[in-house]
Amino acid sequence: MKERIRSVFFMFGICLVFTAAVSAVNKINEDRIRLNEQMRIQGLVLNVLQIDSSGMGSDTEIAGLFQKRVRTSTLGNRPLYVGLDPKGQTVVGYAFPISGPGFWGPIEAMIAVDPQVSRIIGVAFYRHNETPGLGGRITESWFQKQFQGRTLETPPPGKRYFTFKAQGTAKGNAELDAITGATETTRRLETFLDEELKQVIVKLSQQKPS
Amino acid sequence: MATPSIRSIVRKGIWEENPVIRQILGICSALAVTNLMTNTLIMGLGLIFATAMSCATVSALRKVTPDRIRMMVQVLIIASYVMIVDIVLKAYLPKISEALGPYVGLIITNCIIMGRCEGFARTNPVWPSFVDGIASGTGYAIVLLMIATVRELLGFGSIFGFGVLPAHWTRWTIMVMAPAGFFMIATFIWITRSMENRTNPQKA
Repeated sequence: MKERIRSVFFMFGICLVFTAAVSAVNKINEDRIRLNEQMRIQGLVLNVLQIDSSGMGSDTEIAGLFQKRVRTSTLGNRPLYVGLDPKGQTVVGYAFPISGPGFWGPIEAMIAVDPQVSRIIGVAFYRHNETPGLGGRITESWFQKQFQGRTLETPPPGKRYFTFKAQGTAKGNAELDAITGATETTRRLETFLDEELKQVIVKLSQQKPS
Repeated sequence: MATPSIRSIVRKGIWEENPVIRQILGICSALAVTNLMTNTLIMGLGLIFATAMSCATVSALRKVTPDRIRMMVQVLIIASYVMIVDIVLKAYLPKISEALGPYVGLIITNCIIMGRCEGFARTNPVWPSFVDGIASGTGYAIVLLMIATVRELLGFGSIFGFGVLPAHWTRWTIMVMAPAGFFMIATFIWITRSMENRTNPQKA
């Protein structure tokens, strides 16, 4: 009996010590981790809004540029980033995150559209668990660049904003090149991209915050 | 049981009882992270740290830990160190942390650490246990790096992210995917076994 009570107290004590140590490490690095995440999103938003940050070396410069050129707002339950011209007055575009299931796990992307909400100006897939070399190629620039300049015409009922066709056979505004060998990733991407766009574009066209 | 010499601990961890090729432990992460060398290296370093520190701590507490709850205590210790590694990676190497995804957290369930704690650290003093952790971790890291070298070279045509093969090199996509991990580990075990059989014919 005494042995059992000792075990309980020992476990309790050791839990206390180790969780305290882990919490302390976490507390010390908390701000840094949050800042990293924030930096990543800021760089990404600037990128899809086609605001040139290539000359920016340090994190503080990018943060400064973001402060000047982007205003953070909300669209329903997702964040909306309003891109401004260098003077900080006219809207040059809107960026918003979209996400949905991929083949191995969720895919997250940032999409930017022009101030009239009629055209895509940039797309970046920034978090995914797709197979490297296959579905993982959604992060390659040729794949992301093909979205640029596409007009956002409301598709007829039963149709999608964009469909993926075998690489090299895509024609017209609504068709995009798929990734060879990544059928599942492309199929799922096509589905959630459409669902998300249908939701966001309607809301954004009504609001168009300036 | 007498504590083995540091030299024999190191030799056992890296070669004679290498966790991956001899004991077939830690295979899950060996398959998952070995398609890029940078990720593999960080994973290996994370595991070396977690194993060494866990072994040292388990060993330091070996005389006061009640026998019946020792597994719980070990898991708690291992989990704490792995979480520390995870937090530090997130704070200082966010890109790599992103690429390794859930695998850093999964070091907790890596059988190598538990195996060394239970099989060695529980009955040996702190210093040899610490060295044993480092040796086993290094044995794991070396094997993984070798596998990663082949997979990255053939799959991406690069080493540590630097392109070394000419641009017209046809990438072996299969090398990038998980099945290639199985092929490579199997081939590796085959080669090392044959090597050993040649040097110790009586064992064969």
